[in-house]
Amino acid sequence: MIKGKCWVADDYVMAYNIIIQEYWTTAIDKEDNSRWVMAGVHEDFNSENAFKDRGYTFIVAGHNFAGGGKSIEHVIAGLMGAGIKTVFATSFARLQFRNAINYGLPFVTSKDIDKDCSTGDELEYNPQTGEIKNLTTGKSFDSLPAAPFVAKVGQAGGLMNYVRDKIAKGEAIT
Amino acid sequence: MGMTITEKIMANQSGRSSVKPGELVWVDVQSVMTMDYLGKTCFEKFKSLGKTEVFDKDRVICVSDHLVPPPNQKFATMLNEWREVVKEHDITHFYDLGRQGIAHQIMVEQGHVLPGTVSIGTDSHANTYGAAGAIGNAVGVTDAAVAMATGKAWFRVPSAVKFHITGEWQPFVMAKDLSLHIMGMMHWNGHLIYKTLEFDGPGITSLSMAGRMTLCNMTVDLGAKNGIVAPDETTKAYLEGRAKGDWEMIASDEDAVYEQSYEINLSNLGPTIALPDKLDDTVPIEKAIGKKFNKAFVGTCTNGRLEDLEILARIMKGKQIHRDVNMIVVPASQTVYLDALRAGYLETLIMAGAAIDTPSCAACAGIHTGVAGDGDIVLSAGNRNMKGRMGSKNAQIYLTSPAVVAASAIRGEITDPRTFDI
Repeated sequence: MIKGKCWVADDYVMAYNIIIQEYWTTAIDKEDNSRWVMAGVHEDFNSENAFKDRGYTFIVAGHNFAGGGKSIEHVIAGLMGAGIKTVFATSFARLQFRNAINYGLPFVTSKDIDKDCSTGDELEYNPQTGEIKNLTTGKSFDSLPAAPFVAKVGQAGGLMNYVRDKIAKGEAIT
Repeated sequence: MGMTITEKIMANQSGRSSVKPGELVWVDVQSVMTMDYLGKTCFEKFKSLGKTEVFDKDRVICVSDHLVPPPNQKFATMLNEWREVVKEHDITHFYDLGRQGIAHQIMVEQGHVLPGTVSIGTDSHANTYGAAGAIGNAVGVTDAAVAMATGKAWFRVPSAVKFHITGEWQPFVMAKDLSLHIMGMMHWNGHLIYKTLEFDGPGITSLSMAGRMTLCNMTVDLGAKNGIVAPDETTKAYLEGRAKGDWEMIASDEDAVYEQSYEINLSNLGPTIALPDKLDDTVPIEKAIGKKFNKAFVGTCTNGRLEDLEILARIMKGKQIHRDVNMIVVPASQTVYLDALRAGYLETLIMAGAAIDTPSCAACAGIHTGVAGDGDIVLSAGNRNMKGRMGSKNAQIYLTSPAVVAASAIRGEITDPRTFDI
């Protein structure tokens, strides 16, 4: 069970606004990338540690979260470094959806969640059942369960660990 | 039940007789591409997996494209570190400054992408490879590192959407116009996220490889997993002497299943333009005619090929670029550059008042070579127009075809190339 405050985003939160252009060529590092994460999404987040210091655990978004076609993993590293444990959205852009799976950060699809949450609401998420409870309003939402492979990668702490372990044991990757 | 070409490739490359949308498979990868600003991290991650040698030194393709030639000391140092790491791993195909090009152009032009196979790259426009009848897919450095170590990548088999293109291409109408038209229809990262897009029909059969590359290139901006054109005689002729390996023809089954199908008739398609800030805010050129701009840009993995430079030269020959417009042309690779030089296109463009720059991603990534400043209005043949994409957030970017850029640069305002006196 994961519990914490949420930040509610609009549709089309773009990857290149989550990590702005001047940081695309920096190293991928959770701590480092988190300092300026979301700097381009909202004026309030455009200062050092501005997003991180608000202490959100969840992001609730609408359509196409983290889109716009950037493949950079700084986006996911930055969100994780800022303390985000799960992102809920009605849909995700595929490049960052893939990166999130590879880093073991749950990107969870939930149909109507964006309509009934406000920034600062306290949420509780049960990864086993997929149920998301808004403790502030009392409303509940269903979500799509993770595919078995995604769950395995998540349990391993990301694709690097998953593959490293297979290589060390000489196991086939399937 | 029949399979689409994408399903067939995923089945073949994962050792299965068939696959269905939604299934998760690990496929064998033909080529893994990485480039200057992410490549070092890729190799570091690869090493951390416990391997010392990449799965195949001939099939890890390294390209310098985003940072070359280095505009500042930071990039020069990054490039030096990149070169060291490529050398250390004894990579066969390293397209560094002097032999460079935009990675996606290099991958297809140099035959690293083969029909019926899967290739991945650490840049979003890797979808371009679909032009060669392959699955081309953009990934992050983690996936690339895993593929470097194992020769494999994981995929969820996507459901398919077909675009059947009929009719004939009208004069001065290019693949870019079709891409932008589809963008307007289906929306930027809208209805097509996670899908495989298949293009077929007489309008595709008659389309050049360059045009197919443009079309597949921009499928990433539709949110799709990949875009693909089944290999045909055009593909075969193009790959002759380029392909770095054997390949076979492959096509979708007659009874393959598509979630949706759309038909677009080319006789109704004219030059198309995306208005600033949103890729899907596209209009027929008639609605933008007369709009003044001060910068013109032709290049990128979308429209920096020989055919694009040819149409520029054809339209601009003997003319002068308007005094209020600065135009930069960046060929997509050294090969394109040399071919355009030999064909006389570059001479024509220089005589018209265009600046030619060495192959790179240039201002498209907003990093260097003609970036936009405050107040600039750019008419670009590139692929993205969101605020800040080419530099300043206070610049506006219109996206269109090279033909529209050429005619418009002469007039100093957006001009329909079909009515332009050449």
